[in-house]
Amino acid sequence: MANIKLYGIIFVVLGLISTTQFLVESFLPDGLYWVGLVAILALSTGKAIAVAGYYMHLVEEPRSITYLALSGVLCVVALTAGAGYSVV
Amino acid sequence: MSDHLPPKSSVKRWLVTTNHKDIGILYIITSLFFLVFGGILAFMIRIQLWNSGAVILSDLGYNQVVTAHGLLMVFWFLSPFAFGFANYLVPLQIGADDLAFPRINAMSYWLYLSSGVLFGLSFFQGSTLPTGWTLYAPLNLPAFIPSVAEIGAFAGILALAVFVASVTLGSVNFLTTMYRMRAEGLRMRDTPLFSISILLTVWMMLFAFTALLGAVLLLSFDHIFAGTQGSGYFGSAEGGSLLWTHLFWFFGHPEVYIVFFPALGVMGEIVQTFSGRRLVGRKWFIIAMALVAIQSFIVWMHHMFLTSINLPIKTVMMVTTIGISLPFDLMIFALIYTMIKGRVRWKTPFLFVLGAILLFILGGITGVFLGAIVLDYSFRGTYWVVAHFHYVMASGAVALIGGMYYWYPKITGKMYNEFLGKVHFAAAFIGFNLLYFPMFIVWETPRRWFHYSAGFTFWHQTASVGALIFGASFLVMFYNLTASLYSDRDVDESPWAYTGSAEWSVSSPPPEGNFPGKPSFATGKLNFLEGPATDGGEAQTDGGVAAAAEAAQPEADHTSWWPLILCATGLVTAIGISGISESYFIWPFVLAIPFFIAFVAMKGASTDGFGIVHAIYLMAAGPMLAAFLLVFHLHHGFPGGMFAANTYFWVTLVGIVSGVGALVGMGFESFFAPEPELAEQWPFEGVTNTKLGMWVFIASDIVLFGALIGSYLFMRLRAGWREWWDIAHANGLETHAVWPGLLNTYILLASSFTVVLALAYAERGNKRRTVGFLTLTFVGGIAFLINKGIEWVEYYFHFEWTFNSGPAASTYFLTTGLHAVHVVIGMLILLFLIARAAMGAYWSEGEDALTLEYFGLYWHFVDIVWLFLFPLFYIL
Ligand code: HEM
Ligand SMILES: [Cu+2]
Repeated sequence: MANIKLYGIIFVVLGLISTTQFLVESFLPDGLYWVGLVAILALSTGKAIAVAGYYMHLVEEPRSITYLALSGVLCVVALTAGAGYSVV
Repeated sequence: MSDHLPPKSSVKRWLVTTNHKDIGILYIITSLFFLVFGGILAFMIRIQLWNSGAVILSDLGYNQVVTAHGLLMVFWFLSPFAFGFANYLVPLQIGADDLAFPRINAMSYWLYLSSGVLFGLSFFQGSTLPTGWTLYAPLNLPAFIPSVAEIGAFAGILALAVFVASVTLGSVNFLTTMYRMRAEGLRMRDTPLFSISILLTVWMMLFAFTALLGAVLLLSFDHIFAGTQGSGYFGSAEGGSLLWTHLFWFFGHPEVYIVFFPALGVMGEIVQTFSGRRLVGRKWFIIAMALVAIQSFIVWMHHMFLTSINLPIKTVMMVTTIGISLPFDLMIFALIYTMIKGRVRWKTPFLFVLGAILLFILGGITGVFLGAIVLDYSFRGTYWVVAHFHYVMASGAVALIGGMYYWYPKITGKMYNEFLGKVHFAAAFIGFNLLYFPMFIVWETPRRWFHYSAGFTFWHQTASVGALIFGASFLVMFYNLTASLYSDRDVDESPWAYTGSAEWSVSSPPPEGNFPGKPSFATGKLNFLEGPATDGGEAQTDGGVAAAAEAAQPEADHTSWWPLILCATGLVTAIGISGISESYFIWPFVLAIPFFIAFVAMKGASTDGFGIVHAIYLMAAGPMLAAFLLVFHLHHGFPGGMFAANTYFWVTLVGIVSGVGALVGMGFESFFAPEPELAEQWPFEGVTNTKLGMWVFIASDIVLFGALIGSYLFMRLRAGWREWWDIAHANGLETHAVWPGLLNTYILLASSFTVVLALAYAERGNKRRTVGFLTLTFVGGIAFLINKGIEWVEYYFHFEWTFNSGPAASTYFLTTGLHAVHVVIGMLILLFLIARAAMGAYWSEGEDALTLEYFGLYWHFVDIVWLFLFPLFYIL
């Protein structure tokens, strides 16, 4: 099951995405801050999905394992969104 | 089976056992001890309130007693009491022979006991927490706690942390067990109600308690590093005290259902048994419970109607709160309707459950009042709240007491005295209402305060008399339960005329291995056998097959000393930390690292044979210790500084060094707990128990980091998102560069890559590369820490941007610090894995390689966390 080449490709892609995030922050004009913010967080999410899916083998596991992890994420979203919204 | 277990009369048995029934009994007895402890404190409250103004306690004394009463009852009595039954019964009800991880189950118990002892001891460290069970900020901070109480208060906080550790291990264990070890043919929806209620409870526990751990972690940070001067998290002007209420109630509201849900399950079982019929609308009852469990995470701000949160969110929470009472109505109707349609037998367990339902109705209705924003403006902080939650909490307790009478014959093999049981019920029910109903009448009494208007005296004295009757009723119970043990009222399988769940089809108490053969529900349904199980004969025939299958496997283990030892060292460490000073705090942990390495080498050599890897470890450990002592010397002077440190430093040092020893001991102990060959595993077929357990743990860790990241986002939103760094610069952060974060991202990604490579080569049986890539991963960890360390030193020492330099500093240091601790823990595990891999473990036939996969899950998860810390703390 372990496809070393695939792992290698993913590693390279992850590195490139990280570099991109750095570049976005360095070269984006200030007026586009919020666009950059969304882009950077979206890229991080993409990286996380790649690591979870391939290095942690979620793609091969029963889908219920993914839901299990997502339920934790959902909790965090509820707490953060609720608490954050309550003060803005 | 378990011929290794000493007999029940031997003390040793109870120290080494990993059997779920033994541990269930330990939980029940220990929780009853805490019931008495909390009960005595309750009497002190009622005496104090005999007249307005101090009667027996000082101000600080009263604050301690109120706090400790609440915490002990909620944490150390109610939930563990329920989990005593859960431990005992869930495997029986689902047809498993034990929990999935028996040794970890023992650890849950010993951690629970340790946390309780730690809390009890805190009374003797000057004073325990004087904050109320909600620990509201800023009263929970050193600056606002009387200085005599600081150490004891922190010990109380640490006790909560240890308790959470116990709960988290328990949740992982129960979830894995219930999803993976149901007997053949037992679908989830057919699982007995009590087990279903436990399943939902542990789901809530898993997430809610982790949020509490996050809160407690931040609070500990404030206690250790912010001291009486600093602001830290909860003293911060950026909504610090509001943050506490968010975190606490995000945990706290699910928590009130966590204590109540097992009682709901008990109600379901008992109503069925004593009405002689299946619960009406059973399916909807279960759906309603599941709905409530989910919704309990989105009502928490109904505890915050009097804070500065905005009106729209209050309104949302009012709606969700009133909404959540609807499924409860459905459940109560289902219970009542079942009684009406059935033929009720008025035995003690049934009476208790009926009483519990009545209490719940009153408590629930008054809760809906509180859920209405405008009413709560008046009710908040009054005895209306006190009466409300005692009605609902006591409803839970009373139902569980009913459960105790119900299962007492199963657990002991003896029948309790029915007459005394009814006397207990009558006295308890009358006493309770006499105690709490008056509180609705004089609801204007301020909560947690022993002065009230003179006109209320009569009702408060009535309440105190009620308390006496309520308390005395428990003496009847203790007498009954003890005396009945020595009676001749033996029971066979079941004393009840009508039962539906599997525990009643085996002898009382059940045999060591739970079932005479392999339980299977493949042919029929579990529920509602007429009378005690009729499938005994069938089980016998299965017995032969099961025995044959088992012969092929190594025999299961049932004893271990390590859980007890490990938790004892944890207790010692926690006591030490409660009084250690900031400047010494880090040292015991640092000094324990070389000991850990040496222990791995020695234990590894004696288990796997002496190899070069052990020699390397031993040779590294000595110089490491010397180097650490040298650095210690630069800070404090050695050995003078050591002897100048207070006793708590030494206690911590002893605790943590013996703790790493115990960890290593447990790591090398071979403990075999077989997975059932034939089991219902929906929806987690196709993974191993350990992998599922690992994922459950990761899900909870997501919430832990989520709580920290959420706190960061909350404070940053409060302070102004884009002004954040400007504030930090104003507080002393001269510059902050992005590239060290980028570098660490590369490093961690690379180390994740090497972990999957190690796994891939282990699966191919390539030992050299496996060890090589594991070692590379370790090196990656070191590189990460060095890079991180440089940054910390720069910020902390050069810029003097310290833990207390405003919210940006606190959130940065604690969040990246917790992440670094995760990295360090991963590296210590790596040292262990490398030692074992080098001696030939993990690559034989590829099967053992699973261990590396489990480790990989952890490591990659830590990597993923960093993927979010990088943008949040560096880029944005
Ligand atoms: C039927 C649904 C329920 C509703 C609508 C409800 C509503 C509320 C509300 C709005 C409060 C906040 C009052 C305030 O502080 O001003 C409250 C407090 C409380 N409730 Fe409930 N509740 C319900 C059921 C329960 C249950 C089942 C339990 C536990 C078994 C429980 C335990 C508590 C506790 C312990 C508090 C006090 C928290 C504190 O110390 O401040 N409630 N309830
Ligand atoms: Cu609530």
